[in-house]
Amino acid sequence: MNPALATLTRDGAPGPEAVEAFFRDHDFPLVEPGNVTFVYRGAADEVILRRWISGFNTALPMQRIDGSELWVLTMDLPPGSRFEYKFEVVRHGGRELLLDELNGVVAHDPFGANSVCQGYGYERPAWTLPDPEAAAGTLTRLAVDSRAFGSRREVGVYLPARFRRNRSYPLLVVHDGSDYLRYAALQSVLDNLIHRLEIPAMIVALTQSPDRLVEYTGDPRHARFVVDELLPALGAAYPLSDGPGARGLMGASLGGVAALHTASLYPDRFGQLLLQSGSFAFSDLGHHQKGPAFDPVVRFVNSYRKSPFALADKIYLSCGIYESLIYENRSIVPLLQAQGMQIHFEEARDAHNWENWRDRLRSALTWLYPGPVWMVYE
Amino acid sequence: MVQRILLGPQKPTSNLREAADAIATDGPVVVITAGWRDSEGEIEELRDELGRPVEDLMIYHRAEEIFAREPALRDLKRERQDKLKELQDLYRIRLGPTLSAARKLLRAEAQPELLKLEQRAAIAQVRALDRHHLRRIQSIHREFDLRRGELDLSAATAEREAVQRQVAGAGLVLIAGGHVAVLLNRMRLFRLGEELAKRPLIAWSAGAMALTERIVLFHHHAPQGRRDSELLDAGLGIVPRLILLPHARTRLDWRNRRRMSLFSRRFAPAACCTLDNGSLLHFEDARLLDARGSSVVSRTGRRRAMTPS
Repeated sequence: MNPALATLTRDGAPGPEAVEAFFRDHDFPLVEPGNVTFVYRGAADEVILRRWISGFNTALPMQRIDGSELWVLTMDLPPGSRFEYKFEVVRHGGRELLLDELNGVVAHDPFGANSVCQGYGYERPAWTLPDPEAAAGTLTRLAVDSRAFGSRREVGVYLPARFRRNRSYPLLVVHDGSDYLRYAALQSVLDNLIHRLEIPAMIVALTQSPDRLVEYTGDPRHARFVVDELLPALGAAYPLSDGPGARGLMGASLGGVAALHTASLYPDRFGQLLLQSGSFAFSDLGHHQKGPAFDPVVRFVNSYRKSPFALADKIYLSCGIYESLIYENRSIVPLLQAQGMQIHFEEARDAHNWENWRDRLRSALTWLYPGPVWMVYE
Repeated sequence: MVQRILLGPQKPTSNLREAADAIATDGPVVVITAGWRDSEGEIEELRDELGRPVEDLMIYHRAEEIFAREPALRDLKRERQDKLKELQDLYRIRLGPTLSAARKLLRAEAQPELLKLEQRAAIAQVRALDRHHLRRIQSIHREFDLRRGELDLSAATAEREAVQRQVAGAGLVLIAGGHVAVLLNRMRLFRLGEELAKRPLIAWSAGAMALTERIVLFHHHAPQGRRDSELLDAGLGIVPRLILLPHARTRLDWRNRRRMSLFSRRFAPAACCTLDNGSLLHFEDARLLDARGSSVVSRTGRRRAMTPS
């Protein structure tokens, strides 16, 4: 048990004043090198820690301290780890998923919010936070009439600070771009890395599919939209550098599949791919177990695994080790390497979430698009 | 006596006006912004800051025009740049293990009288490698100059002389920061060293580095992990006995005393001197009159205030 908690409960159930003082004096969860202790306070029949991770037990029952309404659980956690969680509270036969009220660190995603457990030594990277010294880029929108989809698509466009029409810029096309902005601080990351000269000033197209479970799962219409419609529209509207070396695709989860699939259909168009926790599901033996939505993904990945080829110059991949996709990602890395492409693969003590993807962006972007920092002293 | 002021980065706040007031010269003000490459000449902010007319010498763009008119010179310059790049790669092959050995010895525990000599020898090896590298770079430059002399470059010569006249007629020359190699190459191409040495100067960041005898590239917090500081080239040699370190606050790992100590000892007797936003080093010839906001890396890796001579 955590030493502070052990002291609190040394003489049995602590009184309300002692509990209040304990809560006031500590940050929660209680983090130590190698472990973490969660504390929930409230009347309940049962409290379960729900961890949004894969490959481990996601539901861990908490223990009540006799005679109190305090529920506690200590678990091992390697330094630098991070995962998201909620408390499942069972009361009068009902179940409720609650944020950890004692923990102010919360992460958001399209499905809501989760409490965040930051293991010993984890710190949110400074380059993900707004820097007053970094000049901010601007966000604008571009409408593209898509024949591939038979509809008009609105695409967000990030223009770097001090954007000039008489220069040319590399391009990065980001799948789930609005989510990257909202949940992974993409604008601050771009502003900061460009300001620090760690990446060049670049234009970033932020696509957002209205139906990603179809369009991002190996849909040729999406690839056609990106290459035959979006790229020309961006080229007409903005000064883009020529050649595949100045163009990249990026995406997380199914967005990673969409990026890889698009590059596979147009292998001479994109020099760089940034793939985070890509859902590269495949089946070597029998049918896959991931549900019908993944059928086209599995067809595409199986086909690529059967006949792999080079589809970009450089590919950065990352994946959390607390997510099931680590298996698929570890599996695809040697296959990609064998095609002669430059591959950089990173694993993180994190799970399938936006802040994991946020925290890897510096490493990914500076490797794919190295900036002039080494030679430039402004 | 020639007044020269070296400054740190001019963002977020500029001390250029303060420096110009300290020099107080008459005559036209010209600026070299070749380190800004494509942005060369975008000097509206700089003019506003200074409150005086300023003319950009535009040597980056003038060089591009010369290369377009003189393909033989362009090819010769490309050949030199390719050689320098390859040489830098070769230098890194030896630099990594040589520095690594020195770092290991600085960390090692052994009998002091044994260890001290080994540490000294390891640092001497790094210094010897740097010296060798600099000699190799200089021989490539000499070869370039020789072969350039054999070309008929009348248009380039006329352009060069025009720029030299502009510098000679200037009451004050400003040299902005930016890409240090590009800046240095352009100043070399126009052979500005001799004329610049006679003019009152204000130079910042890469502009200041280019005036020194040795240019060292450094970043202890580089985005792709540890990268060894490396010697890029000889500068114009107008400011002697200094290794200048712009953006030191964000680029140097002051917490790693061994690393900083090695940095200092590697380049001694030159002083490794920081130039951050707000720094100002005012020289009258070689005499340092004022040193604000600047530190020197001591032999033990500590930060020591820079003091006027």
